Amino acid sequence: MDAYINGVSYYLPEKVLTNHDLQNIYPNWEVDKVTSRIGVQKRYVASESEFTSDLAIGAVNKLLNDYNIEKSSIDYLIICSQTPDYLLPATACIVQDKVGLPKSCGAVDLNLGCSGYIYGLGFAKGLLFSGQAKNIIFVTSETLTKFIHPEDKSNRALFGDAATATFITINPNKEFFSAKIKSFKYGTDGSGYDKLIIKNSAGHLIKKQSESFLDEEGNFILNDDYLYMNGTEIFNFTAFEIPKLIKDILEVNSVVIDDITMTVLHQANSFMLDFIRKRSGIHSDKMFIDLIDTGNTLSSTIPIALCKLIENNNIKENNKILLSGFGVGLSMAGVIIEN
Amino acid sequence: MEKEIFISNVKQQFMDPEEIVLEMSTEFRQLDSYDSLTGMTIMVMIKDEYGIDIPESDYRASKTIQELYDYVLEKKGK
Repeated sequence: MDAYINGVSYYLPEKVLTNHDLQNIYPNWEVDKVTSRIGVQKRYVASESEFTSDLAIGAVNKLLNDYNIEKSSIDYLIICSQTPDYLLPATACIVQDKVGLPKSCGAVDLNLGCSGYIYGLGFAKGLLFSGQAKNIIFVTSETLTKFIHPEDKSNRALFGDAATATFITINPNKEFFSAKIKSFKYGTDGSGYDKLIIKNSAGHLIKKQSESFLDEEGNFILNDDYLYMNGTEIFNFTAFEIPKLIKDILEVNSVVIDDITMTVLHQANSFMLDFIRKRSGIHSDKMFIDLIDTGNTLSSTIPIALCKLIENNNIKENNKILLSGFGVGLSMAGVIIEN
Repeated sequence: MEKEIFISNVKQQFMDPEEIVLEMSTEFRQLDSYDSLTGMTIMVMIKDEYGIDIPESDYRASKTIQELYDYVLEKKGK
């Protein structure tokens, strides 16, 4: 038995935040200098009344339409998000109903960020192989920008909102793109749980406003009500762990880097990707780096990259693509898919 | 630990290594092309090349190349 990705689509909210907009908001900040390093020119931002389920619904409907998939055939829905509509119920339940998926459909949320796409593929493969499902829609959807402090210019420049939907089944569909999901490698270092966190949330929610901490020059550092990222720690984790993970992914799939057509890592920022590329000895032609129009959309960056590769007809028959996600948790995972 | 090699290793982490002048007394954060990403790669370089895990607070405390060099030398000596 095999598991196949038989389609990927993505959906973006309407509202756009450009570098020009950021420059107007922060007139004293060198926006161009920063954004050229991280490789982002614009990012999409959910409106106040737009939630993770809304983006997810947009992505699922697009997938159903793009790949002529019958709603009635779907027997499992997985949604990966760390910014769900509610603490409870699961966003997947809301989306099942609003999209009109069958009531016989299983629906579950998966709480992971940048590594989430790989974990979701792993869950889907497990459900298919154990005979629990036949036609799975796996969604990634985030509205992280709701949790970024208005004065946190670095994170506002980096992150964007988006949703994606991937169709996963046991049979290949040769009419469209169809890629076999091969072997996985996973990794976790929960000692870094507080390096990328929204502290005042969920069980830790304290119903009072937290105070913002600023540096000596008055720049925003953190506020416990909002997203906090220790960029240096995340960079360190990535710099040392991801080249090793890439080696392990190749090994578990019994291939070498020359066998890989394209490496699609979580599009954290272009600087970090190029840094990992060099440390991993990967040629620039074999490393996908493109977050210029969407920014870092957490678990959605890898499937958005896949959509772009499919749209541009960059994935040919028998091509092997290495996927790897890493970040918040700290969590990492990778897999190879083969067209 | 060769000072010249240390300077060169730090220099390579800048986006314009050919354009900048780095000496032991240089306050490297004051250079135009320095940013927080340069800092992150300098810390990774120190771990790669000298086996020293430098905490961010200690890194920030080093203003000149000399101070950074002395820090690494001291840690290596231990």
